[in-house]
Amino acid sequence: MNALVALCHFCELHGPRTLFCTEAVHPPAPSPPQPGSALLGDREAEREGEGLTMRANSSATQRADMCEGCRSLPVSHPGFVSVDTETGIRFLSHQHPRQAQLFSVVRQACVRSLSCEVCPGREGPIFFGDEQHGFVFSHTFFIKDSLARGFQRWYSIVMVAMDRIYLINSWPFLLRHLKLTIQSLQSTALKVFDSEQGVCPQRAVRMNSAFSPAVFPHQRSGNAARSLPSLTQHPNLWASLHASFSWLLKACGSRLTEKLLEGAPTEDTLVLIERQTEQEEEMNAEGAGGKSESAQCRDFLFGDDGKGEEYCGPNFRSLRHLRQVLGAAEFRQLAWHVLMGNQVIWRGTDRGLIQSAFNVLKTLLPVGCVRVEAYSSQYEEAYRYNFLGLSPDVQIPAHVSSSEFTVLVDVLNVEQGCVHVVCDDDVLSLYQFSISSANTQPVDKGPTLLNKLEVALTNENLSVEVVSHCLLCLKEEWMNKVKVLFKFTKVDGRGRDDTQKVLVLLGATGPGEEDNVRLLKFWMTGLSKTYKSHLMTAVRGVERTLSQ
Amino acid sequence: MPPTLFQKLFNKRGPLSPPPRSSTEDPALSWPSSELELGQIRLIVYQDCERRGRNVLFDSNSKKKSAEDASVTKMCGQSQAKMFGKCCQLRPLGGSSSSLDSSSSCASEPREHNRFQGTPHCSSDANMLGEMMFGSVAMSYKGSTLKIHQIRSPPQLMLSKVFTARTGSSVYGSLNTLQDSLEFISQDSNTLRPDQGTVVNGFLGNIGFSQLCSPRRAFSEQGPLRLIKSASFFSGHSNPMDMPGRGLYDERDSGIARSASLSSLLITPFPSPGSSLTSSCASSYQRRWLRSQTTSLENGVFPRWSVEESFNMSDENSGPSLGITRKKKIAIGVIFLLSPNEEENSKFQDFFFSHFPLFESHMNKLKSAIEQAMKMSRRSADVSQRVLAHSRIVDGLNEFRTTICNLYTMPRVTEPVWLTMMSGAPEKNQFCGQFIRELAFLMEQASKNQFLPALLTAVLTNHLAWVPTVMPNGQPPIKIFLEKHSSQSVDMLAKTHPYNPLWAQLGDLYGAIGSPVRLARTVVVGRRQELVQRLLYILTYFIRCSELLETHLLESAEDEAIVMPGSLITTSLRRGEVEESDYVLVTMHKPNHDYLSQGAEAEDGYPSDSNSLQSSTYTDTELGLGVPEDQLPEQRLQHVIPVIRAEDHSDGPTFREVGSPRPDARLETMVKVGSTSPRESGPFVDIEGQSEKPDVEVSSLSIKMFRSSGIPLEKKPPDKSLASTSFLLDEEEEPAAKVTFLIGDSMSPESDMESRQGKVEEEFNRHRNRHFDEEQQQPCRSVQQGRAKALLSKPLSTDQIRNNKSKEAKPFARIAGDIPHISPETQEDCMDLFDEYFSEENPVETMTIDDVSVKALETAANGVDKLHKCGQTSSRVGSLVGTHEQVCVQREGGQCKCSTSSTTTIGGYTSCYFAEQDKSIGISLSVPSQRDIGEQKKVPPLNDWEIPRNESSDSALGDSESEDAGQELPRQEQDEQFFSEELAEWQDELEVPFPGAKLVENYSKPSIANFGRSLFGGYCPTYVPDFVLHGIPNDDKLRQSLVSDLSHAVQHPVLDEPIAEAVCIIADTDRWTVQVASSQRRATENKLGKEVLVSNLVSNLLQSTYQLYRLNLSPNFCIMHLEDRLQELYFKSKMLAEYLKGQTRVHVKELGMVLGIESSDLPLLAAIASTHSPYVAQILL
Repeated sequence: MNALVALCHFCELHGPRTLFCTEAVHPPAPSPPQPGSALLGDREAEREGEGLTMRANSSATQRADMCEGCRSLPVSHPGFVSVDTETGIRFLSHQHPRQAQLFSVVRQACVRSLSCEVCPGREGPIFFGDEQHGFVFSHTFFIKDSLARGFQRWYSIVMVAMDRIYLINSWPFLLRHLKLTIQSLQSTALKVFDSEQGVCPQRAVRMNSAFSPAVFPHQRSGNAARSLPSLTQHPNLWASLHASFSWLLKACGSRLTEKLLEGAPTEDTLVLIERQTEQEEEMNAEGAGGKSESAQCRDFLFGDDGKGEEYCGPNFRSLRHLRQVLGAAEFRQLAWHVLMGNQVIWRGTDRGLIQSAFNVLKTLLPVGCVRVEAYSSQYEEAYRYNFLGLSPDVQIPAHVSSSEFTVLVDVLNVEQGCVHVVCDDDVLSLYQFSISSANTQPVDKGPTLLNKLEVALTNENLSVEVVSHCLLCLKEEWMNKVKVLFKFTKVDGRGRDDTQKVLVLLGATGPGEEDNVRLLKFWMTGLSKTYKSHLMTAVRGVERTLSQ
Repeated sequence: MPPTLFQKLFNKRGPLSPPPRSSTEDPALSWPSSELELGQIRLIVYQDCERRGRNVLFDSNSKKKSAEDASVTKMCGQSQAKMFGKCCQLRPLGGSSSSLDSSSSCASEPREHNRFQGTPHCSSDANMLGEMMFGSVAMSYKGSTLKIHQIRSPPQLMLSKVFTARTGSSVYGSLNTLQDSLEFISQDSNTLRPDQGTVVNGFLGNIGFSQLCSPRRAFSEQGPLRLIKSASFFSGHSNPMDMPGRGLYDERDSGIARSASLSSLLITPFPSPGSSLTSSCASSYQRRWLRSQTTSLENGVFPRWSVEESFNMSDENSGPSLGITRKKKIAIGVIFLLSPNEEENSKFQDFFFSHFPLFESHMNKLKSAIEQAMKMSRRSADVSQRVLAHSRIVDGLNEFRTTICNLYTMPRVTEPVWLTMMSGAPEKNQFCGQFIRELAFLMEQASKNQFLPALLTAVLTNHLAWVPTVMPNGQPPIKIFLEKHSSQSVDMLAKTHPYNPLWAQLGDLYGAIGSPVRLARTVVVGRRQELVQRLLYILTYFIRCSELLETHLLESAEDEAIVMPGSLITTSLRRGEVEESDYVLVTMHKPNHDYLSQGAEAEDGYPSDSNSLQSSTYTDTELGLGVPEDQLPEQRLQHVIPVIRAEDHSDGPTFREVGSPRPDARLETMVKVGSTSPRESGPFVDIEGQSEKPDVEVSSLSIKMFRSSGIPLEKKPPDKSLASTSFLLDEEEEPAAKVTFLIGDSMSPESDMESRQGKVEEEFNRHRNRHFDEEQQQPCRSVQQGRAKALLSKPLSTDQIRNNKSKEAKPFARIAGDIPHISPETQEDCMDLFDEYFSEENPVETMTIDDVSVKALETAANGVDKLHKCGQTSSRVGSLVGTHEQVCVQREGGQCKCSTSSTTTIGGYTSCYFAEQDKSIGISLSVPSQRDIGEQKKVPPLNDWEIPRNESSDSALGDSESEDAGQELPRQEQDEQFFSEELAEWQDELEVPFPGAKLVENYSKPSIANFGRSLFGGYCPTYVPDFVLHGIPNDDKLRQSLVSDLSHAVQHPVLDEPIAEAVCIIADTDRWTVQVASSQRRATENKLGKEVLVSNLVSNLLQSTYQLYRLNLSPNFCIMHLEDRLQELYFKSKMLAEYLKGQTRVHVKELGMVLGIESSDLPLLAAIASTHSPYVAQILL
């Protein structure tokens, strides 16, 4: 808890005194997010300054005006520390807080608790405070002392915090636990008191001696102020109190815990996690094979990845860029094939360029639908890779080139003599692209997603980042439709009519309906296993139980 | 066919209560039937004037005694017209009798008491209550003070606030406006008679009033550290106390407060995270982190923000008065008479303490009413005005009473859907089914005027806490999708940086997580109770908050007391069953003298906590053991302190280096108590780098302890190191049982820089004097600079330090290496090193301090710190061995030199402080009461060490700890013990195993102490302003109070942070309208607020969920779909935020074509965006 606890005493000779104080020192920064880090930095700086502390425990300054009763730890004592290993919070106890500001705050609290605030019955809890001096929960109590004025001494335990709301919220808890501590102190002291009185009844002694208030403390010179350990005859009292206070701080801080939900991960994230797990398993099985496809996986999410940068040749930077280079119609055709799940083959010499094209194009699809072979020396079947890069000399089998489910992009070097400017951005000036497909269907109707995306790409007002956010939104939107369709057709196995209703409901009908449906079906293959199995088992199971 | 559906729904409902149950049916299930009657709440108002003491202005109790107050007042003559005259004069002054009270008109004119109270009878406890509210000693603090008292019999709970009254519109204004009429009258009497007892007061009384009110005097009273003795100063205690205030900052505070409301309109209340908020950052995490930081004590005690909380009796148009607060305070106390029934009593207390922010807020409202009434009565002597004023207070009180009673007793929604689903109840599937059915039902029944979509649009736009619950998270799902994830980062945050989860929950509920911060409530109005209840039920799914779990101790109450003083504590670390982490099981043995005498009894097999049993031996031996570390290699000791050389030689062979082949390995000598001859108890080996580790990271904090035998023990949980720990208890090994803990965290307060620097400087000087025997001030300074430079070129990193532990010797890796390095060979080497670092020839010296970067300085400070350690230990050794005198002289000399500003020491000090200055400014500025320290830091180095310290506000407290250390020095010089004590002073704290108990998380049952359960109101007979959601039959009461409620919510935010806007969503099922009323808009006639634009996105979302349900998809799936669709909204808001980065205005068309965003969606999306991208609001506004 963001608080400190202190034991205070009203000394007959010196007034209110802080005896013992336990503070919590929290680890500087929580592990998680960066967001606070800027702020954190500032705080850090401030905190370092706090290294300048009061010489609170310094014997040099205190001794003169301190009696036994005003003092807890011997000056030689370094204090106590406990570390909560789980959280790294350290609980420190000294006679006074070591930080100057807190020193004064605690002293305020001490003085107020023992001399200013009025608690009915004198023993009991009160709360007081203000924004400047902090807020204090204080519990005052008496400890029996056969030698003290009135046979008792006046103490308080204060809990000081800046968060008044929390402190007040914790009142019942604090009261309950402080009471236990106090009662334990009192009962121990009472026993000591009783035994002392048994030996030498003070009342009688005092009655017999001439009594005057002024002389009184001096009469008992040596014993004028007895320490709490002596009153309780508990030599380890301070260590115990330290433990007690530390526990209280921790327990009060963690008394209430919050359960806070976050959204489910997106399908893309799930797929990536699955792939990574698979890979790790594979690697464990094979023992070796350090190709980090997991890293590659990660890149899916973020479109352009490090590899693109490594390669400094001409490349495609974004969908928009690709579209500019290819031309709107060609781009549309290509994107259409990508979205329909057709195999996209790029053939050319420039490996980097092809890689970058794939990096850009794959952002159109959910991660689960992307299977890339960036550059191969032989043809690979469509079911293995929907993005396939080939070197120019590779022959494409006839059944493939005649298939309507394939689109081929040949990257042809423009005859410019010798191209020296390798890093030239102007892809167009270096290459020509010829797109060929056996597809006879029109690509200009749908799918809806592509239509919208094209609008975004066309609108130069929208930055590339905005467009990629748009694409993300569109993809998520359609993934959600995919989920419904999957649930409907694959899990529940509904008939055609119902399915049509769902399509209407999902807004997949209308112009481009056919394309939309194709897209949905293709994308279904990209759903994460986690999700599918969840629907298959959990939801079904639920339905079973419900129907029972 | 609603009835059939309805029946279908509820016939099968089983034990799970369905939502639309009539609130009257079975309130006990949802909300414990609670009773609180209006009469149980009492208001008492006091005025405390410096001159005239304290008097009751209003007491609802005494008023009650004469029911016909109004008539009585009417009968009052002109002379009795002082509306807020003293019902009775309270003289808490010990000894002074009230009859002497000149300012009291009671004695002379008893009839005057016939005021509103209608009876001269003053509540018997008024005296006591006043004392409790004001305290027996007045504070000079001018802000408001908050207090809570418990009164035992009859059981009562008192919440009180004391305000400083602000009267007078301006200093130069007419006296009449400065004076309130009451005062005028009593002033009269004051001037006629000597005031009671105190000369000062009497004098003041006679000064006359113009003087009192003169601007000059007024200003002079603004001094920062005023000492106020209230008229009611309670002399019962031995020492007169004044409470140091931080007056200087009062002004600034109010400035902050004034500007806060402005700035909060645009910016988040906290130090703005600004655009650093990345998308991945959940706003909920951010909020909580900031809360933890702003309320942290470690960051210093800053008043965070404060509402203007003085008691304003000046005219509205006067603005912030230039001043003049006369020393008049107003105390408002609200007393809750508790039920004698124990159970009811504790229930109310639970409610009160957990809902304190709401209570406080209403109290503030009550205060405003009182304020207004007092202004009113002040302005005119007209009786009727005063009657009016009085009735205003009564009205305010009644409103307060009603609100509180309603808040406490009104019915609640039995099972808020979101929270119930979240709690993972086994019946969750049924629950989902029920929710979807309800939703579908409402889609059919409440679709008129797009009612439901409109309502949901408004709710989603304003109660924003749903947003974090759909933000995708990166972790794989746990089992079920519906469960989403509980946020682990927040979880960890709560553990490491506790914040107030209740507060966080409240903020969630009110949707106050966006930027600017808005507070939202929703009221469903309608005569058809059942329909309203259904709506309420559905909305509890969309209005979300975190679930609070209350942690309980597993052990019985007896063991809760775990760590009772006087009891034996045993701890053991156990594997957690519930949590993953280990926990320490602490067993407490009841106080019992037996074990105290016996010592350890490890009877239950757990090793006793080494602390509790051994600290006695520890403290006994401490004095002698004071030389736990000798970090200086022998040779150095030889020339520094000749005496110890011999010792070292004799000890030499027995030293063993453990773990480090470095020639400068640090060795700790264990010196036996009592005898000067160091008894060989085995060398202690300091783990390098650990004790020296700069405060880079605490997380890597590791603790090792070394037993005296030299065997390193990993610090282990007791039960794991059972064998090794147990022998610590062995009597034979007693001296060896001393365990050194080195905790590598110099962030801890033990880094007492000031003193250490002193020591290191002495050490420095000693060396310098010996080797160079020259007196110079500058070099010392340059030394620091040189070091800073050296450090720059060899930056020290944690890694390096860690490496030190390993074999490689990196002699120059750390500054700390300096001294050890000096020693290995000979004195000449030493000289060389000194030359290298400290000689004047070193070009670095020419650098001015300004040239050295702050960083360097800081690093240097670290280095200095380390040097201290060396120096300090050497002095320890020295003193122990018997060179007390010498060291003593040097030490004292050093300190004296400081204060007399001569010789070499100062230079060193100077640079040290310089180095720290940058870091410490913030703090020292903000704490004037710590002036002495601050000044030490800030003083120009060479002269000002003699600053009189008795200006310290603390001194008046009778605590002279910080005073005039210098004067006490001579005394200590002769004090032999001082040294042995001083020796140990810089040890690290004694490690005590962390006491723990098994904390077990429990789901909070629908608890009274949980906003998530308490603020979802049911169908209530009347409007309750605090409820996040509730239903009412008609909007009569709502209309009356909405405007003031909203503005009140902004002025006195329950969330303890500035609020930019408060809104209330009003869904009227009779008219099928949804309106949003705002504190920023004036309500147009007959309309409560502005009609809500139905967001198309929300409408679609509802439709598709509904249709899916109609298509017989399972309810669970429908809910998953609903969540997916909500997540889409989030993604769209992300896009909008991104879009807005480059735009100053939204071209809806652009967005519409791409994403189907329409203008009606914009407010929703912008609101969502404001939770993750604060800049959005700034752009859109």
